[in-house]
Amino acid sequence: MVRLAALLLLALCASAAALLIGGTALGGGEILHALMHPGGAGVVDRIVWDLRLPRVCIAAVVGACLALCGALLQGMLRNPLVDPYLTGVSAGSAAAIAVALLIGVAPAGLPAIGFGAGLGAAILVAALARRGSGIDSNRLILAGVSLSTLFAAIVTLAIVRAQSSDFAGAVVAWLAGSMAGRDWHDLWTVAPYAGAGVVLATWSVPALNALRVGDVRARSAGVDIDRSQWIILAASSLLAASSVVLAGMVGFIGLIVPHIARRLVGSDARVMLPACALLGAALCIAADAICRWIVAPAELPIGVLLAFIGVPAFLYLYLRQGVPR
Amino acid sequence: MIALKNVALTAGKRTVLEGIDATFERGAFTAVLGANGAGKTTLLRGIAGLRAPAEGSIRIDGNDVHALPATQRALRVAMIAADEVVLEGLTVREVVATGRFPHHRWWEWNERPHDREAVARALSDVDLVDFARRPIETLSSGERQRAWIALGLAQETPVLLLDEPTSHLDVRAAHDVLRLLRGLCASGKTIVCVLHDVNEAAAFADRVALIGDGGIIAAGTCDTVLERSNLERAYGIAMERVPMPDGSVRLFVPDETIGGGEDRC
Repeated sequence: MVRLAALLLLALCASAAALLIGGTALGGGEILHALMHPGGAGVVDRIVWDLRLPRVCIAAVVGACLALCGALLQGMLRNPLVDPYLTGVSAGSAAAIAVALLIGVAPAGLPAIGFGAGLGAAILVAALARRGSGIDSNRLILAGVSLSTLFAAIVTLAIVRAQSSDFAGAVVAWLAGSMAGRDWHDLWTVAPYAGAGVVLATWSVPALNALRVGDVRARSAGVDIDRSQWIILAASSLLAASSVVLAGMVGFIGLIVPHIARRLVGSDARVMLPACALLGAALCIAADAICRWIVAPAELPIGVLLAFIGVPAFLYLYLRQGVPR
Repeated sequence: MIALKNVALTAGKRTVLEGIDATFERGAFTAVLGANGAGKTTLLRGIAGLRAPAEGSIRIDGNDVHALPATQRALRVAMIAADEVVLEGLTVREVVATGRFPHHRWWEWNERPHDREAVARALSDVDLVDFARRPIETLSSGERQRAWIALGLAQETPVLLLDEPTSHLDVRAAHDVLRLLRGLCASGKTIVCVLHDVNEAAAFADRVALIGDGGIIAAGTCDTVLERSNLERAYGIAMERVPMPDGSVRLFVPDETIGGGEDRC
């Protein structure tokens, strides 16, 4: 519990720092005053409530969703190399959004198209990975990787066919991941699906713990493996699709945060899942704040920043201390 | 008691075993023997409720194991598989505590006093109390095998099924595991154990089921089952049977079957 409290504190500190960062210099007192008085009409109130706070909340949701999704899939497959995009969610969304942009769909419709296509891709991957009434782990990985490659080819084809730098720029920006331009409306739209993902993840906690010892042993201990796999896959697909709609493709968090969380609190899902959510949220909030600050007034794609800073940091940890558990 | 009636078991589309009629007595240590691929593990999985029979019924104390919900089945029979990947970093205690899964509803996440007692008793029974906090991957093969057995014990089932628990173990470690299983039988557990070494079966088991030709070649006491023609039929190789002074038997492959006897140690 102490470590979970420390992670919560870390997420709150990252949120506070992210609220301070922006194009207009605001003091801590001003931000605190605006936070304590929602509905204010002043410039500071509007900056805090309409720009910075939704951005922080969206980053928190994206980070938590990705980290939870990674933890669920890595736990189900007992494979530390699995990331949230294994189920084809992001690649399916990317292909659908690229095609939608190509045929001139209005930007407002893109999140819904991305979400639907992402879930559709996940269902297709799950159908291909189906064996009997359950899911075959190897087939899931193979189907996910294969379909993701196919969807990536569709994106490339769309870019080539369009021959427009604006179109290519829009797709590439989406692929690089960013929360620019997102607001409360986007968050409320996604919230029920992300919430359903969290509920399903919570439901799967005892099965995830039992699955740590292997499928056959877990089944012998009374776990309904087939049902658990479907619940975990549904949860991870909802969480990944939610994050994709809010921020495009944000790499690294879903792969690495579960490793760090397991090292901090162990692999017991009762503690590990909340630790993942808090750590993922903290990391994503901090990374998004740095992206807004480092090349201001422009923004760096969060996926690029996470790769440049996070990967070397993780490799340092990995090589110095051995494989994280 | 475990009762199999006209059971057929398949692996994919292939029928591995058929026409199996057998009973496994309560409190007995039954060794399942047979050549590689004969269907020993398939039989064990069928009894454990992990593989539904294509035909026939498998009952434990009158309950059809495949008709029971997963957690109800797991309160009656535990299967201990040896070769399976586990998540790295799990402690021995965490592994053993997995056996408490069927004793909880899904919302009951926390251990109760009885769970802690069951886990402690299981660790004590296999002599791994001092290893409780060790990561499972740091244990030797023999110690790890005892940890898997403790997982099954923590499940508190009357029936324990083991798939090749002495594979990869040295003579001493294998002996320790089999002696442990004998002790569990003495305390009332029904043990069905797949073994590769016929002499381990002859030395430790009460009864033997010899698998081959898509069914059970012979089942009964070691003395009646482990005889030359049965073994040759099961393994396709001649074996000599030597009575021991204590009344048990030992089996070995004779020189003329192996050939080149002068150059061997």
